[in-house]
Amino acid sequence: MNITIKLFAALREALGESELQLDLAEIASDASPADVAAVKAALANRGTDWREALYQPNLVHALNHKVVFTDAVVSEGDELAFFPPMTGG
Amino acid sequence: MAAEYAELIGDQPGAAVATFTGYVRGHAEGAAVTALELEHYPEMAQKVLMTLGETAAERFKLTRWRIVHRHGSLAVSDSIVWVGAVAEHRGEAISACEFMMDTLKTDAPFWKREEGVAGDKWVAQRGIDTRRRERWQEEAQ
Repeated sequence: MNITIKLFAALREALGESELQLDLAEIASDASPADVAAVKAALANRGTDWREALYQPNLVHALNHKVVFTDAVVSEGDELAFFPPMTGG
Repeated sequence: MAAEYAELIGDQPGAAVATFTGYVRGHAEGAAVTALELEHYPEMAQKVLMTLGETAAERFKLTRWRIVHRHGSLAVSDSIVWVGAVAEHRGEAISACEFMMDTLKTDAPFWKREEGVAGDKWVAQRGIDTRRRERWQEEAQ
């Protein structure tokens, strides 16, 4: 029950990883599916740097390439990205 | 850019064509910038820009549009972004370019990292960009 996590820009740099797999089975069940907030909480257990990076204000969450709030439900095969506010153009 | 323009107008230019080009500035907040690194999220960027163009086409009745955004290492004075819109009248074409730029700034997954004499730093989102983006949402209501 894997999902792909992607990290970009300052977040990627701070955590030293750009992509990883997370097993949803650890945080979700059929009865209670995982949302973005649950994924964040699971990743925050990896250490203080993860906690700080994922709970910084203005963090953007994109589920399957669409910006979502933390209550969006995550399913097997999804791609969930975390990144700071966008600064292109 | 000439090729992009030719591609934009096609065989029938329509009555009004507007374009906007953004270039890498040689300074930021009073400090010299020597180069720019643009990180992006390729799959999402492609989708966001496509949706943005389609939204602009519907809202401003465009007959054609194009959005080009560069990524990777850029030098001062390099072009970063180029948008073009073709419409029946100048108002729609010009507004469409402004709408595409204002929306792209806050919604397209690109991140600038400026390289300067004092080191590198990620560019922070500016309040003015968010406000310019919100202006279009107010007008749409």
